[in-house]
Amino acid sequence: MTVTRRDFLKQSVVVSTAAATVGLPIGELAEAATQNIEAGWRWDRGVCRFCGVGCGLQIATHKGKIVATKADVDAPVNRGLNCVKGYFNGKIPYGHDRLTKPLLRMKNGRFDKHGDFVAVSWERAFDEMEKQFKRAHKELGPTGVGFFASGQHTVQEGYAAVKLFKAGFRTNNLDPNARHCMASAVAAFMQTFGIDEPSGNYDDIEHTDTMVLWGANMAEMHPVLWTRVTDRRLSDPNVRVVNLTTISNRSSDIADMEIIFKPQTDLAIMNYLAREIVKRNAVNWDFVNKHCAFATGPSDIGYGMRGTDKFDYEAEKDTNGKELTMQLDEAEATGQGKQAGQTVEQKNRASAGKHWLIGFEDFKKGVEPYTLEFVAELAKGDADEPMEGFKKKLQALADLYIEKNRKVVSFWTMGFNQHQRGTWVNEQAYMVHLLLGKQAMPGNGAFSLTGQPSACGTAREVGTFSHRLPADMVVDNVDHRAHSEQLWGLPPKTLNPKIGSHFTKLLRDLEDGQLKWAWIQVCNPFQDTANANHWIKAAREKDNFIVVSDVYPGISTKVADLVLPSAIIFEKWGAYGNAERRTQLWREQIPPPGQARSDIWQIIEFSKRFKLKEVWGEQKIPGLKTEGFEDGKLPDVLSGSGHSPDASLYDVLFATEANRKFKWPDTVAKGHDNHTALLLGDHWFPEKALFEEYAQFGRGHAHDLADFDMYFRDDVRGLKWPVVNGKETHWRFNEAYDPYVKKGSGFDFYGPAGKSLPSGDLNGVTTQEKTNIAGKAKIFFRPYAAPVEQPDQTYDLWLSTGRVLEHWHSGTMTRRVRELHWAVPAAQIFMHPDDAKARGLKQNSTAWIESRRGKIKATVETKGRNRPAKGMVFVPWFDEGVFINKLTLDATCPISKQTDFKKCAVKIYKA
Amino acid sequence: MNKHSRSPLIQTLAGLVMLLAGSATAFAGPSIKADGMGLSKSSVFSVPEPAVSHYPTTQPGESKLLPRAYQGAPPQVPHSVSEFEPITTQMNMCAACHGQPALWGQKLEKGMPTPIPPSHYTDLRNAPGKVTENLIGARYNCNQCHVPQTDAPALVKNSFGRK
Repeated sequence: MTVTRRDFLKQSVVVSTAAATVGLPIGELAEAATQNIEAGWRWDRGVCRFCGVGCGLQIATHKGKIVATKADVDAPVNRGLNCVKGYFNGKIPYGHDRLTKPLLRMKNGRFDKHGDFVAVSWERAFDEMEKQFKRAHKELGPTGVGFFASGQHTVQEGYAAVKLFKAGFRTNNLDPNARHCMASAVAAFMQTFGIDEPSGNYDDIEHTDTMVLWGANMAEMHPVLWTRVTDRRLSDPNVRVVNLTTISNRSSDIADMEIIFKPQTDLAIMNYLAREIVKRNAVNWDFVNKHCAFATGPSDIGYGMRGTDKFDYEAEKDTNGKELTMQLDEAEATGQGKQAGQTVEQKNRASAGKHWLIGFEDFKKGVEPYTLEFVAELAKGDADEPMEGFKKKLQALADLYIEKNRKVVSFWTMGFNQHQRGTWVNEQAYMVHLLLGKQAMPGNGAFSLTGQPSACGTAREVGTFSHRLPADMVVDNVDHRAHSEQLWGLPPKTLNPKIGSHFTKLLRDLEDGQLKWAWIQVCNPFQDTANANHWIKAAREKDNFIVVSDVYPGISTKVADLVLPSAIIFEKWGAYGNAERRTQLWREQIPPPGQARSDIWQIIEFSKRFKLKEVWGEQKIPGLKTEGFEDGKLPDVLSGSGHSPDASLYDVLFATEANRKFKWPDTVAKGHDNHTALLLGDHWFPEKALFEEYAQFGRGHAHDLADFDMYFRDDVRGLKWPVVNGKETHWRFNEAYDPYVKKGSGFDFYGPAGKSLPSGDLNGVTTQEKTNIAGKAKIFFRPYAAPVEQPDQTYDLWLSTGRVLEHWHSGTMTRRVRELHWAVPAAQIFMHPDDAKARGLKQNSTAWIESRRGKIKATVETKGRNRPAKGMVFVPWFDEGVFINKLTLDATCPISKQTDFKKCAVKIYKA
Repeated sequence: MNKHSRSPLIQTLAGLVMLLAGSATAFAGPSIKADGMGLSKSSVFSVPEPAVSHYPTTQPGESKLLPRAYQGAPPQVPHSVSEFEPITTQMNMCAACHGQPALWGQKLEKGMPTPIPPSHYTDLRNAPGKVTENLIGARYNCNQCHVPQTDAPALVKNSFGRK
């Protein structure tokens, strides 16, 4: 830090005569005050339950209860700071309506879908769960059952779920709520770098000069990172912060420049930047020639909607019909070099992710239409802002990126990921940074932030997606299946090669009757999935059996058939992986209440109820067509398994000889309990055994984790993978930091996926012959695409949804903390006062808000922290009483299958 | 049980069963209706009436301090903040009033601001252990931790901190 540090603060903050106290060690003040209270308290470190930042905690327990938490001063992520949610971690286990007993819908002592909930024993709960599973499995095969997983699952829970469902039940119908959160980021990482997750880390904030936010309101969604951004901004007058957003928000308050753009025109702004980089001869040719290749793909890829109107409400039909054919508006036509009004059949709906190499001249041709005039006209999101001023901002943005010696980090989250072209716009961020050679070095890089505490660690790294296996492997790759079968000790062809249903499709499958048994853990899909009216109705009215494991009741438990009481984070052992590749492990701090049990216990205990012969015989898989498999079938693998057909999945998958060697109790526990190990019996340590078993997938494959015990060392606060020879990796792909980089290369984008490609031009493939681009990253040209649903005469406003600082996701935990509840008691409609006035509404009026898919009531907020321009409204989704996902559109990025929660058309009127 | 989720016939049948077999449910233990679970005690198919709540309108110095959740928890804001937000790089009204190191360790008279404590003048990332003259940049966004409280009705009791 320089001597001028804090100069700004000196001016802006009134500080009276503090000289007397300067130099006083802070510890003495704080400790003196708390010493008496803390007698007898046990302190241990933990991780925040909430967002993807991954802040370290210190947790105090006394007589089996949490009595206080502190932000961990030694945690490099947060250095002694939490946000308001984080400070209330200690309260979340103690809401009075904790689920503490299994609840089954019953009538006259028997399960009945139309019955009320009755408390039952775990034995009775598992009996029904097993019976219903076997009924669905017998009727529909492995495809008839499914699992809704989570970016809040611990690493071990996610791993156990993958192993039980993919290896045991041979179904790929397992997908996490992280599909709603990170799938576009994943797809773009895989297509651009051939390997998932960011090259940089949070220290980029302290190293950079410029931070550009694209659809990431970090002030509320990544608050502790925002403290670092703010600190950096205030410490150095040369630092610049830019907030690109569709709604003016708290991040704008600290930003030097705010750019309000229309939904989905970020695609055009990115191409303007690329065009400027080319026009100003700012391409870093040394970097690009050595380390990059240009690529593109088809644009007629649909919008991830059903493609049939069989289940549509009448009002939905016009929007949903565009899934198959879309008429180009003027901007889309210009951006794609086509004719306005032209009807384009969406021919590549099923092959949206395919792409090919192009030359630089084609790339240049692609970005050529994205002039300042065209883009400014298209993108300006605030009608009250003068056009000239907006143009100047776009130019200033280009200046910041291009300035030769200026370091730049671009951050984004849901604004990019929840986007009908989410994969494209993620790729465009890399496009800008790669063209400039500002990637994978301290203070320079496009940095995808994650939403959930273990979206990276569990959903992505373990691979709880319907197409994935651990360590970036995929089910539709024969080598990846064989490698996984070998590590898991499975007979060849046990694993199902057909990609399963993604999160939203699992719900569509419930409506279709293709899915008749589903288990939900650590998420709330019936509140968090767009177009919810369809799914809550399917859950209650169709022939299916829905199991929800949760800590508190919410929308999903209300539509469940069986509710299982889960242990909350502090009541179990676990591991999370945050957005900078940092894996953090913790011990069980307190016992779960009543009959509540860890999710991993539930998974492993359920596995005891299945014999191999029930699941490893021949299985029908409708639509399976893969080399080496008979059409529509998985083979019988019992004979080659080396196990008795009567062996249980528990013995074959979990309590294996190798895993039983990890004994419980273990000295790493330092006196902490493990209710999971005690209940399973057999004296093994499931969380440690499964962590070590899982780690075998990544070690030697650039996903190396350290050994379990190392994460509990006093001097360790999580480690950023790959951890090689006990050392974490700070920046990937950069020779100075990453041991996987080829010596002498400088940079090596070594991810193996998608590195052998055909070539062509902007219109398609012209040479089928494949070129190998090993070690290179791709610079994609991706055009502007218009949103599939836009405001019109009837539905005349844009709706965007999102979070608030004070609440986590669907609010099931944070709304049970009164300080957080009272801070933000209900979701409101944030809207422009003129838009409210035009509808006869004002602050606190009750209004109907309605889309083609549903309507709800909420109160109007015209003076809040989010300040939409005219024509746009924002409604947070945490509040089950303001069930905004009844209105949202279930269009997804066709490549990533991630839903766009940020744009659909609504109308608002007085209630 | 949600009445919208059943056909009229099934509803009628269910009603009959309830009437005729009032005692039949007794052996299954007390039952819990799904509509009564969760935070909005209503059917997932219904549209709850939204409630309006209000943030305090009192000016700084007029209200009593709010109880801390636990030792070390960030105090909530007991007064109106509508005139003091947003916090920008140019203006931080919270710090302008509460940045009073001279009040550290002093007994506060009624109406005096709670001073921002020494911890907020300590750069835990770069120079831990030293209290400086200036508010640390990482602590600049006061509203990330300190939040005002509305008059909304309580939702669920919480037994944190009770013996």
